[in-house]
Amino acid sequence: MHGPIGEVIQFIDLNAYTIAFLFLVGFIGGLVSGFIGSGGAFVLTPGMMSLGVPGTVAVASNMCHKFPKALVGAIKRYKYGQVDIKLGLIMGVFAEIGVQAGIIVQKRILDTWGQAGSNLYVSLIFVLVLVTVGSFVMRDAMRMKRSRTEVDSGPNIAKRLQQIELWPMIEVKAANLRISVWFLIPVALATGMLAATIAVGGFIGVPGLMYIVGVTSIVASATELVVAFVMGLGGTLVWAYYGMVDIRLVLIILAGSLFGVQLGAIGTTYVKEYMVKYVMAMIMLIVAVSRFLALPRYLNELHLIAIDDFLVGIMNKMSFGIMCLALLIGASIILTSLFKARRLERAATGLA
Amino acid sequence: MQNQPAAYCPNRPEPVTGAAAAVRAREPAYIMAVTRNGHMSEHVMEYAASVAQRLGYAILAVHVDTLPLFNRGRRSRLFAVAMQESAAQLAVKAQYREVTVEHLAEFGKIGDVVGRLCRSKKRIEFVVIDKGIRLEEAARSAPIPVFPVNTAQQGIFSKTLFHTTTTKGVFAMSTSSKKQYVQRCVLFGALTAALYAAVFAYQNLVMTYFSKGGVYAVLPVATVFAVSYFHGNFTSSFWSALGIEASRKSGAQPVAPAKQVTGTVKAPRPDTRPRLRLNA
Repeated sequence: MHGPIGEVIQFIDLNAYTIAFLFLVGFIGGLVSGFIGSGGAFVLTPGMMSLGVPGTVAVASNMCHKFPKALVGAIKRYKYGQVDIKLGLIMGVFAEIGVQAGIIVQKRILDTWGQAGSNLYVSLIFVLVLVTVGSFVMRDAMRMKRSRTEVDSGPNIAKRLQQIELWPMIEVKAANLRISVWFLIPVALATGMLAATIAVGGFIGVPGLMYIVGVTSIVASATELVVAFVMGLGGTLVWAYYGMVDIRLVLIILAGSLFGVQLGAIGTTYVKEYMVKYVMAMIMLIVAVSRFLALPRYLNELHLIAIDDFLVGIMNKMSFGIMCLALLIGASIILTSLFKARRLERAATGLA
Repeated sequence: MQNQPAAYCPNRPEPVTGAAAAVRAREPAYIMAVTRNGHMSEHVMEYAASVAQRLGYAILAVHVDTLPLFNRGRRSRLFAVAMQESAAQLAVKAQYREVTVEHLAEFGKIGDVVGRLCRSKKRIEFVVIDKGIRLEEAARSAPIPVFPVNTAQQGIFSKTLFHTTTTKGVFAMSTSSKKQYVQRCVLFGALTAALYAAVFAYQNLVMTYFSKGGVYAVLPVATVFAVSYFHGNFTSSFWSALGIEASRKSGAQPVAPAKQVTGTVKAPRPDTRPRLRLNA
């Protein structure tokens, strides 16, 4: 393309507030990612932009912090026997193709409808995907909680797909099942496309792994970390080639997020199956509300509706606030259940 | 083995007469289960207990400390703690099946211990060995059959499913004390701090080169890989040093349905063959 363009990019100066904000968001985002396999990225990009970081640098730096975080989380959860590396790598490769496809679609939309149209498209996808998938996952989590069964019998679609012997089959050891690679590809492509569009592929990847491939939510969220690593590494190499990565921001976010991702991974060993689904669905639904509030601005810019600018400003602030709230609620559920389960276990071993 | 009259079983109260039989009855037949780990594997205990129940034997559980002087005796202390725990576990299994268990703690080489016990202790019928012991080593000096008890359930699940139910000591004596975590924490913390200090002290220089693009793309990627190693290890040992670690119960909640244990020795079948009983 145009070659390295680092000289024209303005990198921001760091101060105590910036550092504290990035560290904290990094920690909470890491905690959620370690637990549900992804997340945090959706707050970081707008968060960095609100600090004055240019959009592309924010996206690039976000991507660059994502893959080491995913790597550390994946290694930690591999030690607990929750990761299937083969599944993760195959999904990762196809997700990478999905990312490229997603970028092409984005570019087309940008060329046709301009920046506001592209933003509207992103927000619409956000709302649509998060509401449908989020409510489905939430319903499932509620059902599991009520029935109090610890091991899910596996969804019906997944069971049927597993019975179809279509070459090449792969064996998923961590989940003890066999499935044709052909059924993984659409899940992976969709994950990649979503990642290219809204920066969080896991919102498709994890439910896809649970309901289409048929692995448990714990294995799904752990394997998603491998997928995120592959996608993140590919994306980072491209962004770094154009000199867009602000390594200082990346290091500060990583400083917090690696603490978080370890804790999140530890958390998965304490909670019951439905908890991962519950936290995930909760975050997805709240983020959907947040993105819904961002819609009027773009509709305004496209002159499709006319709302007072003052109101749009308030809605925008609320949108960002609710997004942070989603992450905070997710993190607090994880921490509460982790420490509660830990206390109970300690009490049990103390009595024994 | 085949000639064992049913009278030797402590669970079957058939009358036994004759002087020889009386002497033998006081001295039950044993299955010797040998391990060099602090905790005997679950499947070895299960196998020994169920076979002992079926054959009416007792179990002689032997924990062999093969490195008694390692780490100035620290390993031995951990070994002793782990062994007590393991013994308690086996005792529970055996009690459930009404099998008698004797525990022995030994030092030295596996081959020597097995040979010595087989000669000094009468009526050991066969030996089962835990993982970590080579078959040739145990069989070298054993005058009786030696069987390894393997399981298909190794690989990534071996850690989570088999060795996490314990509370003290660890499998293969890898020490997991807080002190070690603190040491790792300090080491990796210092390395991480050095890396961060280097980047932020030379901010301007770093930013010039790192954002040059092209081949220089390797620089940020390499840096974050280094950070994920140093800082990843630091944060991991940081939480461990604070005592926040994975649930020990996670072994009891397998992430996938457990596969049936298969391997060198198959699970025991109920013995339905007719028996000859002599009441002389």
